Amino acid sequence: MKEKVREKTRQLSRRDFIKTSAAGAVLASGTNRIFAAGSDELRIGLIGCGGQGTRDIISCVKSSRGVEIVAMGDLFKDRLQQSLDELRKDVPSAVKVASDKRFVGFDAYKKVLQTNVHMVLLTAPPHWRAEHFQAAVEAGKHVFMEKPAGVDPKGIRSVIKTAELARRKRLSVVAGTQRRHSKKYQETIRRIHDGQIGKIVAAQGYWNGSDMLGYWQWYEKDGRSDMEWQCRSWPWFTWTSGDHIVEQHVHNLDVLNWALQAHPVQCIGMGGRAIRDLGNIYDHFAVEYEYPDGVRVSSMCRQINGCTERRAEHVVGTKGVADVNLGVITGERPFKYDGPDPDHYVMEMADLVRSIRDGSPINEGKQVAGSTMNAVMGRMSAYTGRALKWDWVMKASKLDLTPPKYEFGDLPVRPVAVPGKTKLV
Amino acid sequence: MRTSAAVGAGALALGTSRIYAAGSDTVRVGLIGCGGRGTHDTTKCLNSAENVELVAMGDLFKDRIDRSRRTLKERLAEKIKVTQDTCFVGWDAYKKVLACDVDMVILTEPPHFRPGHLKAAIRAGKHVFMEKPVAVDPVGVRSVIASSELADRKRLTIVAGTQMRRISHLVEGIKRIHDGAIGELVGGQCVRIGGGMLTWGQKERQPNWSDMEWHLRRWLFLAWLSGDFIVEMHVHNLDVMNWALGAHPVQCIGMGGRQVRTAPEYGNVYDHFAVEYEYPNGVRIEYMGAQIDKVSDRNDQRLVGTKGRAYADFGRIVAEGQNPFKYEWDEVDPCIKQHADQIAAIRGGKRLNEGRRIAESTMTSIMGRMSAYTGRALKWDWAMKASNLDLGPPRYEFGDLSMRPVAIPGKTQLI
Repeated sequence: MKEKVREKTRQLSRRDFIKTSAAGAVLASGTNRIFAAGSDELRIGLIGCGGQGTRDIISCVKSSRGVEIVAMGDLFKDRLQQSLDELRKDVPSAVKVASDKRFVGFDAYKKVLQTNVHMVLLTAPPHWRAEHFQAAVEAGKHVFMEKPAGVDPKGIRSVIKTAELARRKRLSVVAGTQRRHSKKYQETIRRIHDGQIGKIVAAQGYWNGSDMLGYWQWYEKDGRSDMEWQCRSWPWFTWTSGDHIVEQHVHNLDVLNWALQAHPVQCIGMGGRAIRDLGNIYDHFAVEYEYPDGVRVSSMCRQINGCTERRAEHVVGTKGVADVNLGVITGERPFKYDGPDPDHYVMEMADLVRSIRDGSPINEGKQVAGSTMNAVMGRMSAYTGRALKWDWVMKASKLDLTPPKYEFGDLPVRPVAVPGKTKLV
Repeated sequence: MRTSAAVGAGALALGTSRIYAAGSDTVRVGLIGCGGRGTHDTTKCLNSAENVELVAMGDLFKDRIDRSRRTLKERLAEKIKVTQDTCFVGWDAYKKVLACDVDMVILTEPPHFRPGHLKAAIRAGKHVFMEKPVAVDPVGVRSVIASSELADRKRLTIVAGTQMRRISHLVEGIKRIHDGAIGELVGGQCVRIGGGMLTWGQKERQPNWSDMEWHLRRWLFLAWLSGDFIVEMHVHNLDVMNWALGAHPVQCIGMGGRQVRTAPEYGNVYDHFAVEYEYPNGVRIEYMGAQIDKVSDRNDQRLVGTKGRAYADFGRIVAEGQNPFKYEWDEVDPCIKQHADQIAAIRGGKRLNEGRRIAESTMTSIMGRMSAYTGRALKWDWAMKASNLDLGPPRYEFGDLSMRPVAIPGKTQLI
């Protein structure tokens, strides 16, 4: 989920847009598309036309010259239409979606991939990421995918495999962990990696915020089938969103992995629903992650209104402390980032488009899969009450939240997890 | 008064109620709160030194006194000098115990009652052993601190049942930490997970029980009586963190809820808490606690310094880094030791007052609970000086008493 700052910083100067290299063709790269100059059109398709997908594609158009939206797909016609209306209002000249390039249904993504797009934005609910990503890379498309990269170990393993395929095919893959494209974050974390706070001995990540109601849409069941209702109200169900520790807090966990240059070895977590009564997700989690060399990292995330909010990443070293989200280091060698920090959402798209045009692919697939696994293992530990090892989750867990079939019919809601009772799978 | 030695003039001037010259003098003990823990503590106390006797008992319920007295008699035989006339039942039982010829009282009623009982005991000139926690709310904590200060002025000893402070390996290990073995402390974790306590006490409400009696019989699960388990039990672990860090927290932010222990017989307490405590110099300590069955159990403390780190549990403390060390428990029962220390201090006329320390550790727990219940980050100074939270009931009588609803963060008011 994106923060409030987004609206304030969305505008970028034209000068920033035009960063595409005019260098010669990148024939040797083996990419399926060759871009000669920055003016060449980049045709993109949107798979998943919700609020985030729409915002992402607008950021993409604004990030670089010559980006054209040519195909769209969603599970629901009304969602696609809403998105299209918004795009026509916001980036009218980029909208080139012919009426026969608007696809609806469970296989809409396949149809988008059959069009002549260079790149797709994968912004359907997280449950579908693995399947859509695989299809997109197999179809030879560059990919922007929103975080998280999945909701269960099975999906994450698939994303890692597909990311490797993308690497072999020299396709670019950028994930919506936009902090990675922030100058402030980059400069701060570079200093951490350079030893400016000494050896890292502890860290904390937080996303304590609001209940998201109003931002995340909730649809009443009314006459809808179970499947339609859950797909529309996807943030509130674990099988579709992964729960908020995965869907939202993955941002902070990703920053911690980045700072520590590792993923956790094991974790123990807790959580529950103190007030939330929608869907079957929790409203708070606290997880202790243990990284290599016994470094323990704490994570807290909460979605409850009226509570003290804190969204931050804090890294503790033997010679100082970094408040990464503030771009501040204190200790023996203090630092404060005070340079420009353009809109992270636009920067991630600019970096992606440039990498495609330059023929020098970026591939964040494995990275976001890893951070997603952090979050998934934290959730699994909190749901079951069991301490978990990364290797077990990555290699042996059989957890697969996929419903029996994709069709608009019955789909009972899984009960809210109860630690000590919910089985570790 | 059973002292055999002469009463010194100096001691008289101090207003102490008892003067002890030699180790042979009998110490007469009263037990206020005859539950399982009170019985346990009395056993340890009477076994900790020669010539320590139990002479009076008080509890809200006769059945608890009878059971405790029977158990103690079986265990300690002639050391139990309690008679029918020195067993007191009811709301004012503690006053009657204090009116007896006792030198010291053991305060082991549910935590809610501790501040009031401590105050009365110190005013009555008695030495006090009191179980942890020593309060359930800031009003109670402030009272305990005031009583502790009075105890110093009256030369009375106070020992708190935080026996980890006397467990040999922690004493040695934390001394090494204080001496800088792992450098400057920059982080730490305090985790206690396991044990749902579902079978504790009598679950079925008896037809003749008033609301108040139900609350009291189920006190562990009522926040106004126990303080919730972060206070009632995990104060032990948080006390170790305060000890190791040589400070109390500056602020905290916490969360929690009840995900398993949701049935009405579990009152209004949570079953899990996670609190981040910030100590001076921005040092963040993470506490996680749960009382849930069939989860991965854990019970340990970890301290992270610039030159190493230490892991501690009930059995050992192990430090790695520039100055590694390891200490294992010497198997001396710290529950005996805490009483032996107190009896020796009483007999030797030495100052021994743990009142403020345990009040601060209790406050550490309480502020964590308050933060989790309300969802609000809290500062120590505010909680200590400005919070008016007082969980006490309107009146002490066996009648109607509604249960406060289970706290809901964002809704439950910060008071």
